[in-house]
Amino acid sequence: MNKIMYLEFERCIGCRACQAACRECGDHDAKERNYVEYVDFTESRQTFPMLCMQCKDPACARVCPANAIQITEEGVVLSAMEEKCIGCRNCTFGCPFGIPKFDFEKNKMYKCDMCYDRTREGISPMCASVCPSDAIRFIDFDEMQELRRRRTQMNLIEGKKPQEGNKWDYVPEFFGVYTDSNQ
Amino acid sequence: MHRLEKSFYSKTSMYSFLVLLVLFLSMWVATDQFLHIDMALLGYAISSAIFAVGLTIRMSFWLYRTATNRVASRSMKNLFTKERLKWSAKAVLITLVDNIILQKFIFKRGLYRGIQHLMISWGCLISFAITFGLTFGWMRFDLIDPETYQIVVFNIPTMKMAAHGLFAEIVYNGLNIGAIMVLIGASMALWRRISSYDVKVTQRFEFDILPLLILLSVTVTGLILTVLYTFFDGWMHHYMSLVHQVTVVIMLVYFPFGKLFHVPVRPLAAAVPMSYQEVVKVDTKTCKCCRQPYSNDDQIADVQAILQAQNFDLRLADGTQLSDYCTGCRRRMRALKQMNMEAPKGNPYGPVDTNNGIHLSGFSKKRSEEFYGIDIEQDYKGEKDSEPVSR
Ligand code: SF4
Ligand code: SF4
Repeated sequence: MNKIMYLEFERCIGCRACQAACRECGDHDAKERNYVEYVDFTESRQTFPMLCMQCKDPACARVCPANAIQITEEGVVLSAMEEKCIGCRNCTFGCPFGIPKFDFEKNKMYKCDMCYDRTREGISPMCASVCPSDAIRFIDFDEMQELRRRRTQMNLIEGKKPQEGNKWDYVPEFFGVYTDSNQ
Repeated sequence: MHRLEKSFYSKTSMYSFLVLLVLFLSMWVATDQFLHIDMALLGYAISSAIFAVGLTIRMSFWLYRTATNRVASRSMKNLFTKERLKWSAKAVLITLVDNIILQKFIFKRGLYRGIQHLMISWGCLISFAITFGLTFGWMRFDLIDPETYQIVVFNIPTMKMAAHGLFAEIVYNGLNIGAIMVLIGASMALWRRISSYDVKVTQRFEFDILPLLILLSVTVTGLILTVLYTFFDGWMHHYMSLVHQVTVVIMLVYFPFGKLFHVPVRPLAAAVPMSYQEVVKVDTKTCKCCRQPYSNDDQIADVQAILQAQNFDLRLADGTQLSDYCTGCRRRMRALKQMNMEAPKGNPYGPVDTNNGIHLSGFSKKRSEEFYGIDIEQDYKGEKDSEPVSR
């Protein structure tokens, strides 16, 4: 299995279904771990969804003094191990994208684990399975490549030729390659 | 210290040696030059020594980690700084009472889990204290007259107690009390591990269940031993004590390397109120973008130092680091960067123009250029190009 979380921020309609779904996921303790936020509330109502990147070499795990953040063999960066986390929140501040959340009551960090019990079995994570506008998708590697290519073509048809300085305008974000094996 | 270190293979082996040396000397003193050593406990003594070495090795490696080292050394420094002494003492005390003795945060995770953990931890602490006390000879009972025992701690006679008094009964049965507590707690934990779907998401047999089974086997064999010599006149006592000894040895050898190692990690929790708690409000870090306070200067400095020491380059073009921004701003920066909307009109700290010409967003209205902080006159003269500038 080689599935990818594919995000297209501008598709987000701000319905927050992904957050509601996240709360329902196993072991999430009725707390959402993803974010839906406004780009700039004073400018427009455009929102964007935000998840953990499941980094290969996660900064969050590197700054954790308790060594509490573990990475599964599939490459999923898990929430802090409850028995180890000392509640310092270094992970929140070390993560380049500000992802880990913290429960001050229960003294533990929790973060997006890509619904480990689901994705482990090849089932799409909760957020991706409910997103009505396909802003979050859980798709095959090939499908992702196809989508990116099409996106570039679309821009070319519209007469927007990518230049060296702005080629990233034309490539939507993708992340979270679930496994390396059998590409 | 450096010279001393050079005479060993590594720092860790030096620490292990020192720990063993201290243990040996403490035995020497406590047993009055091995006069009062209990040879029946030799197996326990040896495995306890292995336990001590294992723990030393694991602790050393844990403390060498960049992140741990940074946090621990800052806390040590704070602990010995005069101005902070009062706050530090309070922080340590609060952590000790709330976090370690009462384990309040586990009760917040659920009453069941709280009781379960309190039982296991206190049962283990009691049993460990008694086991180590007796095997290393730190504590022994001397019969001074037929009716009175004297407790001798480190070869110093302390209190006397009646051989059949209530206090004596509690002392004799300390191990049994500890064992029953662990038995209750570990069974509760095992039940939770088997029945709850939530914990199964990330649970691993060898990490989460094996330690429970080891603890259970130690307590069950220990309790059987008690039952055998109180009710069955010590029938099969010899074999059972061997079985019990084997389980204890396995547990002691396993302790530093498995899940149980979280016990010595826990005291580091004192570092949080001591060095990072925002309650002190001495110096509060504000976000470079939205100007809201979001953390503590010391903590961000630590995070940045730890990242840098491990070659994470999270610096932006203007020299700031990602951790200089609050988490909300960081998420927004990432989204804007990906959409190449971060600073379409020049000032990276100014308002965002969500109209990027490619995707028209629903509510965006055209705004005057100066709203985005662009000097049109200057641009016109060509002195400053209005290419997007990233922070
Ligand atoms: S929390 Fe942050 S640093 Fe950790 S894996 Fe996710 S994106 Fe990476
Ligand atoms: S809050 Fe917990 S998981 Fe995060 S860095 Fe601190 S100890 Fe590690």
